[in-house]
Amino acid sequence: MSEELQMKKSSEKIRLAVIGIGKMGLLHTCILNVLPNANVIAVCDKSPIIRKMSSKIFRNMKFVDDVRNLEGLGLDAIYLTTPIPSHYPLAKTLYSNKIAANLFVEKTLASDYAKAKELCDLAAAANGISMVGYMKRFSVTFRKAKNLLDQGMLGDLTSFEAHAYSSDFAASNRGSGISAARGGVLSDLGSHVIDIALWFFGDLAVKSAKLRSTNKTGSEDSVMMKTEGTDGLIGNFDISWSKKEYRMPEFGLAIMGNKGNLAVNDDEVIFSSVEKSQKWYRHDLGDSVSFLLGDSEYCRENEEFISSVLVHRKCESDFNTASKVDLVIEQARDKGEFT
Amino acid sequence: MSRKRQIALLVGDNPFHGISHLSQQRSRARNKMIEKAEYDASLVLTAFQNGANGFMFSVSEKTLSILKSVNEGMLDQGLKDLELYAIAPYAYDYVRMATQSGGMTGLATQVAKSILKSANVKAMLMGVHGLVTMDPESILKAYLFYEIERIRSAAGKRTVLSSILLHEIVTEMILALDLDGLAHSFINFMLKRHMIPGFETRNFALLVRKFQNWGLEFKQIVIATPFNKAGFQMNPSKLDCEKALVKAPEANIIAMSVLAAGYLRPSEAVEYLNTLENLRGIVVGVSNEQHAHDTFRFLKESLG
Repeated sequence: MSEELQMKKSSEKIRLAVIGIGKMGLLHTCILNVLPNANVIAVCDKSPIIRKMSSKIFRNMKFVDDVRNLEGLGLDAIYLTTPIPSHYPLAKTLYSNKIAANLFVEKTLASDYAKAKELCDLAAAANGISMVGYMKRFSVTFRKAKNLLDQGMLGDLTSFEAHAYSSDFAASNRGSGISAARGGVLSDLGSHVIDIALWFFGDLAVKSAKLRSTNKTGSEDSVMMKTEGTDGLIGNFDISWSKKEYRMPEFGLAIMGNKGNLAVNDDEVIFSSVEKSQKWYRHDLGDSVSFLLGDSEYCRENEEFISSVLVHRKCESDFNTASKVDLVIEQARDKGEFT
Repeated sequence: MSRKRQIALLVGDNPFHGISHLSQQRSRARNKMIEKAEYDASLVLTAFQNGANGFMFSVSEKTLSILKSVNEGMLDQGLKDLELYAIAPYAYDYVRMATQSGGMTGLATQVAKSILKSANVKAMLMGVHGLVTMDPESILKAYLFYEIERIRSAAGKRTVLSSILLHEIVTEMILALDLDGLAHSFINFMLKRHMIPGFETRNFALLVRKFQNWGLEFKQIVIATPFNKAGFQMNPSKLDCEKALVKAPEANIIAMSVLAAGYLRPSEAVEYLNTLENLRGIVVGVSNEQHAHDTFRFLKESLG
């Protein structure tokens, strides 16, 4: 930790508001409440029931029903944890009304690339810190894999396979009705593994995609797509929330290079080459955090945002970085064949 | 006189749900092999006959079926007094329900329907009060009435419902949001019903600090939390958790993840656990008969 950050850390508290008290809003509010430099002072939710319930469990906070009512609270930063389709209008309102310069948005940044780019411009104009909640970048296993790749352990990369699976809708025939509200499997689940791939390999362009929906809403429930990197690296993605036996969502990549291969998921990293093979579990990679709720990644992600706001430095996964995920998703939907 | 400590040995239910914190791949392999409730119950009974004192489980339809089979097995074999430590709510079920029903409001509707279906009058009355006032304490009590009844009717009379522990998600929320009133209310509710109030947490050091500040009496409660040689899921660090353990000598600690999800050998696990002065119990999952027999024999002989 830099001396500058150390000094700021000891004295300053960021004044925060959280918009949208669903699962993620609640999770972030709890973690932020424990972090020493964060102070959640307001909560915004359009549901009267959620506001009333929130008023009973969140102490010393203001509760509002509209983001415009956050004006004048002297907020340093805002967490936007509402459903994806509302990110763009809400973020635009926050920036336009100068309610806070620093903004954390749960993934994905927007529901299409044009809107994501517009939010990038607004963030730049506000001269604040921006971040999108791609928390897998803060997983110890994916970080280890990134380090190994950066060290050139695999030599020249030849191809990769990526997957994101869950059983969220494996047994449900209402899947796509709910999935439409959640932005479809590409945005909700696939965005994480797309972000990891962009982090590992740089820009990717979708060459082909097959999308499948289980009902009439047109929202995708599973996707297979092929991408190509700027250096010709070929990648194959398999994304579905209708897989059986995935009690928890799982993200993973198998990466092939001319000097070795790497397999990484939430639990382990395996490097193998002709000379040697090595495996690291989460246990080996220092997974403890200052406050564990959900996965350890969430705590690290929030610490990254708060410390970046404190010293005004670029965040891991800022709006510009995250907008590339929206671009890949848009390409997949545009080029994809629907079945 | 034996110098051995009295450490409660509890069978955990993770393998019965196909859970592995070591790897998702192993978890899926377990899922494929998930046996009928009768088989899982037989593992609990084998462990009981080889040194286990109790069964710690998350309350779900699956574990309630296991409890029914455990009760029948105990009756058949003339066994009694298996202690039950129930963890509620079973977060996985509720998160999945929220996902599939469209969020928090959908989840609340589903839970309210389940309570209504149960025809549990106390739970319904408390639930109505909770909904009208939006009072978290009343809502928690309504939920506890509902779960206690479900457990007791499944478990029969050969077992003893010793404790209900709040699932880690609820405990961590209590810690994060300084909900000391909710913690006090839960403790009083449980003590009035002659059960030990429990808290499951993966933030043990923070829990000790907060509970001491809130004036909660550690001797009245039980705390289930990870303690293992690898420091797996010990937050903010293994050292901080060990220091916190020393600061709360009167606490009834049940160590979880003692094998760090299979990362450690039992002998390594025991070597570490024996260095911790004030552990009151440990919980370990078992996945087959031999495992149930050997693990609890070994733990009984090696701990203390």
